[in-house]
Amino acid sequence: MKIKVITGSLMIALALWALAPAVSLAEQASVAGDPDAKCLKCHSKKLKKKLEDGEKMSLQVMAADFEESVHSVIGCTGCHRDVGKSKHPSKKPISSRRDYSIVQNETCSQCHASKAKAYDGSIHASLAGNGNVDAPLCSDCHQTHAVKPMAVYQPVTGEPCKACHEEIFDAYAQSVHGLARANGNVIRDDHIQAPICADCHSAHDVNAVAAVDHLQSTCLDCHDGASVAHEQWLPNAKMHMTSVSCAACHSPVAERRIDLQLYDNLEQVPVGTNEDHPEIQDRLVEIDESDDGLDPLELWKLVRLSTNEGKATNVTLRGRMEVTRGVDAHRLAPRADAVRSCDTCHQGNSEAFQNVTVSISSPDGQKQRFEADSEVLNSAISVDSVGGFYAPGGTRIKLLDGLLALAIFGGLAVPIGHITLGKILRKKKNTEQ
Amino acid sequence: MTTMQTTHFRQEKTYLHPLAVRIWHWLNALGFLLLIITGFQLRYVDLFSLMSFESAVKMHNWVGFGVIANWFLWLVYYVTSDKITNYHPDLDAKDFFKRYFRQMEYYSAGIFKGEKKPHRVQPHDKFNPMQKLTYQFVMFITAPAMFLTGLMMWDVVRFQGLIEMVGGIRVVNTIHVLLFILFTFFIIIHAYMGVLGKKPSSHYKEMITGYEEPH
Repeated sequence: MKIKVITGSLMIALALWALAPAVSLAEQASVAGDPDAKCLKCHSKKLKKKLEDGEKMSLQVMAADFEESVHSVIGCTGCHRDVGKSKHPSKKPISSRRDYSIVQNETCSQCHASKAKAYDGSIHASLAGNGNVDAPLCSDCHQTHAVKPMAVYQPVTGEPCKACHEEIFDAYAQSVHGLARANGNVIRDDHIQAPICADCHSAHDVNAVAAVDHLQSTCLDCHDGASVAHEQWLPNAKMHMTSVSCAACHSPVAERRIDLQLYDNLEQVPVGTNEDHPEIQDRLVEIDESDDGLDPLELWKLVRLSTNEGKATNVTLRGRMEVTRGVDAHRLAPRADAVRSCDTCHQGNSEAFQNVTVSISSPDGQKQRFEADSEVLNSAISVDSVGGFYAPGGTRIKLLDGLLALAIFGGLAVPIGHITLGKILRKKKNTEQ
Repeated sequence: MTTMQTTHFRQEKTYLHPLAVRIWHWLNALGFLLLIITGFQLRYVDLFSLMSFESAVKMHNWVGFGVIANWFLWLVYYVTSDKITNYHPDLDAKDFFKRYFRQMEYYSAGIFKGEKKPHRVQPHDKFNPMQKLTYQFVMFITAPAMFLTGLMMWDVVRFQGLIEMVGGIRVVNTIHVLLFILFTFFIIIHAYMGVLGKKPSSHYKEMITGYEEPH
C-alpha cells in the first residue's frame, strides 16, 4: 500500500513536472507573452480621446484587420514605442487628429527611410508642408492599423489614389490604359503591362502634373518607339514632342490651352524652380492690376522691363500646348483615336489658342498660372516677348495678314494704275495732236 | 555676241538669256508659285482648303529644297561665266541713280509716248538700273534670307542655336512671312513688267527662246 502511494505520488509529480512548461507557455501567451493582446484588450473597445480641437479621436483597433496587416509582425509597440506601463494611458494632450498623424508618420520613416525621403520630395509633401490639411500623409494612403501589402495596390481598384482623385481615376479607368489593365493587360492583342497610377506618378515621389518633362519621359519609358513613330509622319516631330504634351493629342476630347512658361535664359531653368524670383512674381501681379488677364503690352513689359534685385533679367516665354484640366490628361484614347489632323491646331480658329496662361514654376514643380489674353499669340508686340513660341497658321500675327493683303492689292493696283495712266497719257497726246 | 538671222526681217537678234538661265528662271518661277500657294495654305487653313495642311507642309519643304538647289545652280552659272557682269554693282552711285530715275520716268510716261528705252539691253548688261537693283536685292539678300529662315523652320531642333541667336522661332517666322509678302508683291509686279515689251508677249518669248524680240 505504501509502495502504491509512493508510486502514485511520483507519477503525479512526474506528470506535473511534464506539464509544468506547457502551463508556463500558455500563461506567457495569454498574459505576458503577447503584448498586442494586452493592447487589444482595451483598444478593441470603442475607446475615444477628446482632442484639443474638440474632436473625439477613436482609439479602437480592429483586431482582425491588424492581424492581416503587414505590420502585425512588429506588433503595436513597433510603432507606438513611447507607450509604457508608467506612461499609458498618456495624459499628454493632442491638438488635432491631423497633428497626431503628422507626428506618428515620423515613425514610419524610421523603418521606411527611402520611401519617406521620396515622399518628402513629392507634391503631397509639398502641399502638406504648406498647411494643406487634405494633402495625404503616410496613414492616409496606407491606413493606420490595416497596412496592406503592395500587391493590394496593383489591381484596378483605384486604392488609395481614388479616395482623393476619384474623377481622375474614373477617367483613367475608361482610358486605353485603364481598360487594358482591367482586361488583363491586353493592348492590341499583345500582353503589355498597362500602367496604374504609381507607374506614371511614382508611388511616394508623387509628381506634380505640371512637371511635364518627367511625365513625358514617363510616357516614353514604355512607348520607346513613339519618337521614331512620330518622326515617320509628323513634321518637326522632336519639336512637337517638346512643345505639345502627349495628352494634348492622345486625349482627343480634352480642352487645350497654351501655357507660356517664364524661363530664365541666364540660369537655363524655368523662373521659380531654382531660386525665387520674387520681384518678377510681384511684377506679374502688379502689371495685371486690372486682373483681366495679361494683354500683349503687359506681357511685353513683364518680359522686357522686369528686374531681379535691381538687375535686368534675361527672361523669355516658352510655350507649350497642354490639356486644361488634369482629369483630361487621363482620358488617353487608343492610338487610332488620337488627334492626327494638323488642321486641329494649325488654324486661326483653333480652340487651343483661345486659352492662354503665363506660368511661374515652383521648386516642387507646381505652376502658378496667370490668365493671359489670347491676343498675346497674335500681336506684333509678341514677336519680341513670345519669341519662343509659334504655331504656323494658328498663332499668326494679324498685322502681317494686313501687310499681305496690302501687298496683293498694291501689287494688283500697280498694273491697273499703270494701264490707266497709259490710257490717260495717250488720250492727252491724241487730243493735243 | 551670239546672233542669228531671221528669214523675214534679216535683222540681228541678240542672244540675251542663255539656256541655263532660262531653265533656272522657269524652274524658279514654278517653284516660287508653288511656294506661294502652299505658303498661303499653311498660313490660312481656316480660309483655304486647296490641300491638307500636312500635304502643304510636305510640298512646301520639297519645293523649298528644290528652289534652294536651283539658286545654287544660278549662282554657280553666273560665278563661272562672264555674264556675272549683269549683277556687278555700279560704283558710280550718282550716275546709277540718275539712270535709275530716268528709267522710272520712262516707265511712268515715256513708254506711253513711244520714247526710246533709256537702257540699251546687251547680254553682259541686260538689266536696266531698276531691274539691276531689284535683282541684286532679290537674289543676294531676300532669297538667301528666305532660304535660311525656311531651313530653320523646317527643322527647329537642328537649328535651335541659330533660331535662338535670331531671337526665337516667332522672329524667324516673322522674317519669313515678311519676305513672303515681299515676294508675292514682286511676282505680281514682275509678271506685269513682263508685258511691257514691244508687244505684251515679247519679253515672255525672249525668256523662252533666249533671243531678244525685234523692237
